[in-house]
Amino acid sequence: MAAPLDRRLLENPFYVLGLTPACTRAELERQGQKLLSMLTLGLQEAATYVTPAGPRPRTSELVREAMAELRDPKRRVVHELLAALPVDASVAQVAPAPAADEREAWGEAMWAFGFAPKGGR
Amino acid sequence: MSTKSLFLGIDLGTTNSAAAMFDGSQVHLVRTTQGATLTPSVVRLDAKGQVMVGAKARRLIEADPDNTRGEFKRLMGTGQPLTFPAAKKTLTPEALSAEVLKALRADVKEQFGFEPSTAVISVPALFELPQSAATSEAARLAGFSRVELIQEPIASALSAGWTSDSEAGSWLVFDLGGGTFDASLLETRDGLLRVIGHDGDNFLGGRDFDWAIVDHVLEKVAQDTGQRFSRNDPSLASGLRKLKLVVEDTKIELTRQTESSVLLPGLALGASTVDVDVTLTRDEVAKLCLPLVDRAIAVCRRLLAAHGLEPEQLSRVLLVGGPTAMPLVRRRLDEVLGVPVGEGVDPMTAVAQGAALYAATAGLDARPPQADEEKGSRLWLQYPAMTPDLAPHVVGRLVEEQGKRPASVTLVRDDGWRSAEATLSQEGAFVLSVDVRPRRPNTFTLEAKGADRGAVAVRPKQLTIVQGLTVNDPPLARTIGVALAYDAVRVYFERGAPLPTKRTFQHETVEALVKGDAGSALTIPIVQGEFERAHLCRKVGALVIRGDALKATLPAGSGVELTLDLDRGGRLSARALVVSTGQVFEQVAQLLVPDASVEALETGLAATRARLSTMRGTAFRLGLTRQIAELGTLEQQLAEVEQDTQAAKGGDADLAQRARRSLIEADAAMEQLESESKLPELEEEAVTAVTAASHWMSRYGTPQEQRLLDEAIAGVERARKAKQVLELQRRLRQVRDLGGAAFYKNPDAWLIEFDWAASQAHEAHDLPRAEKLVAEGKVARGTGDKTTLQRVTQALWKLLPADAQDRKLGHDSGVR
Repeated sequence: MAAPLDRRLLENPFYVLGLTPACTRAELERQGQKLLSMLTLGLQEAATYVTPAGPRPRTSELVREAMAELRDPKRRVVHELLAALPVDASVAQVAPAPAADEREAWGEAMWAFGFAPKGGR
Repeated sequence: MSTKSLFLGIDLGTTNSAAAMFDGSQVHLVRTTQGATLTPSVVRLDAKGQVMVGAKARRLIEADPDNTRGEFKRLMGTGQPLTFPAAKKTLTPEALSAEVLKALRADVKEQFGFEPSTAVISVPALFELPQSAATSEAARLAGFSRVELIQEPIASALSAGWTSDSEAGSWLVFDLGGGTFDASLLETRDGLLRVIGHDGDNFLGGRDFDWAIVDHVLEKVAQDTGQRFSRNDPSLASGLRKLKLVVEDTKIELTRQTESSVLLPGLALGASTVDVDVTLTRDEVAKLCLPLVDRAIAVCRRLLAAHGLEPEQLSRVLLVGGPTAMPLVRRRLDEVLGVPVGEGVDPMTAVAQGAALYAATAGLDARPPQADEEKGSRLWLQYPAMTPDLAPHVVGRLVEEQGKRPASVTLVRDDGWRSAEATLSQEGAFVLSVDVRPRRPNTFTLEAKGADRGAVAVRPKQLTIVQGLTVNDPPLARTIGVALAYDAVRVYFERGAPLPTKRTFQHETVEALVKGDAGSALTIPIVQGEFERAHLCRKVGALVIRGDALKATLPAGSGVELTLDLDRGGRLSARALVVSTGQVFEQVAQLLVPDASVEALETGLAATRARLSTMRGTAFRLGLTRQIAELGTLEQQLAEVEQDTQAAKGGDADLAQRARRSLIEADAAMEQLESESKLPELEEEAVTAVTAASHWMSRYGTPQEQRLLDEAIAGVERARKAKQVLELQRRLRQVRDLGGAAFYKNPDAWLIEFDWAASQAHEAHDLPRAEKLVAEGKVARGTGDKTTLQRVTQALWKLLPADAQDRKLGHDSGVR
């Protein structure tokens, strides 16, 4: 489904933390701690982060999740790959596509491809 | 009172509790007035209503069991009241735990001169949400103004890590408690501790060891006296409890000596009286307990295998819990796993010590707030009180001006090291990097200067940072989500998610809710568990919207925006916003472990047995040897569930809860076995999914997305070859996700979706509206209006009905 993937691209932990995929584990912890402190104090400098589709609001939850994601070496590899993907800015600006559950929507995609949908909605 | 910050950690145990205080450089155990480091978790209420806690109460548990209660931790979160007939009082498990916490608070006051206001309390790794909430409530009742919770294995590892020289590597925490066994896999890297995984056996604990020895002693008594006694005879319960207590003491003696006796003259066993005098050797007891220890080690092997680790890759094993004091445990771990057992950690107090260290990480100074006597402009500071980082940041902001305004700040360490000088920004803020010395407290003084470079007074004047091993954010032990009407789960927080956390998702109601109708309600069940099907997860709470509370009638398909919020202590709050009216509902109506009535247990047991029998028949027919063996193990567990259910008839609510959980786990295990038998079907699905995803990706994917899909497909292939069903499902989700993303780039995607939805419109619960939407969609298709087509299709989806059976399985959820 388009929306979650694009959201994931835009909420890539490297973007959220303002780091590059080459950063070390220590840099990740240090940057995360700094951002959480700045967000707690309500500092404007930390309020947004830069993405290829423009600035997005940064929250403590996003920072904590980003740190947890990059601490896991297996997940970090995926985010390193995703950070290299180009983001379609026009898609990023529109509202999320289908509101229904992700797996359900896929049922339609399968159907569209010529297979009967699995499960009800 | 100490001028230094002090951090309190509490291990609120089932059998014993302990507390420890960390002063920034050393951990001190809190002692009782008798000098002990352990406080038995036992509470007694006498006829005058006077409360007695700890060792004194423990001594009376046999003589006056009705008015003396222990092991109430097992009932936390159930709301099960416990009666004290002499005092004519009823107390909840939370209130009883609060009495233990009050006793520990009093011991802290005696030793440190102040009543602590904050603490970190440990909870078992797999505590459910209501149990964590009950622990926080107990702390509040005991007078703590703020507490945080930490999982026991993390606390143990922190305690060991604080004193360990080598930090990097994977650790196994082998936690053998009184009634349960927990194995946890952790990893330390760069001074940070990370939980990799948990496993456990809810039927294995010290008391199983005790009962094995009791059986052996009864056998010896039978040989000596010719009288045979069975543990299944309910009339012997009282005598057997006494014998078990003596056996427990003997078992502990045998950890220090090679021989000891079970002496109990004149023991009443039903109508008989026997003189028990049985000598036991350490080897004899080891032989009796060997199968149980090996069962625990098998769980460890399973945990390691699940994470692709070999025992030799472990850097150490930590032993936690009283029963691990048996030399046999250490010996078998060495023989079977060949892993060195960590030295220097006290298995009885490690959890409390680790909790105290964690309190420093969380900056929870246990000292009561002191009057602010300092003068000068007030700065709001943010820094890690404890950190693995050797160069952490200190961030500050001016929040109150008093006297001359500070223009810059420098931090000066207690040995004279100075940070750079930071100029306050327009917001009155500064960010400074400081160097800290390893494994010790580093106290910094704030030096502020005004615009004229003259010294300016600021408060606080000092801050302290301790460098050492730490875990930054407590991870969530079990996945939390909302059960949906089609027996699926919308995951809000994945297991391991860092706390605190918050998520909002949009749901739609599956049926109309009429304004003013007190009899109808919309339930949003909150579940905890790792399964994709809602009925396999445990319902831990529910947000209920009643018809009589509505401002306006909600038609089926109405939008409800649900926000779940979990704090660092694992406390949950929920907020539902009815989008059409803006009405907000915040009451989580139920945050209790579900009731376990004997009738429900018996029905559940019968159904589980019937399912197991059918599955075994199929497994025999197909010659599935591994499945036959696993079903055999499950059958043994069901026999124990039956025993617990029988005991529950006598009012043992603890065993009733254990039986309830075990039944759900047995159900989940059977689901897993069944899903394995569905591997061929899943393999077929994989072919379809991979083909579809590749099709859309080849048309609309970018090269990078193609690369991700290739990796996911390779993962599918690996999981398929290894016959790993759960991994295969996970990989398939990735493939579908990526394929779906490509599909929605197709300019005709919503056209295709509309055609399918229109073909199902005859099933809609609001047929006139569905027909109207179909007509509108057809026009939009004709004119190529894709925005309308998308809106119409999504509206049509909302009108399609939820299956009644699925809805029942989905904890009667009213949303999707």
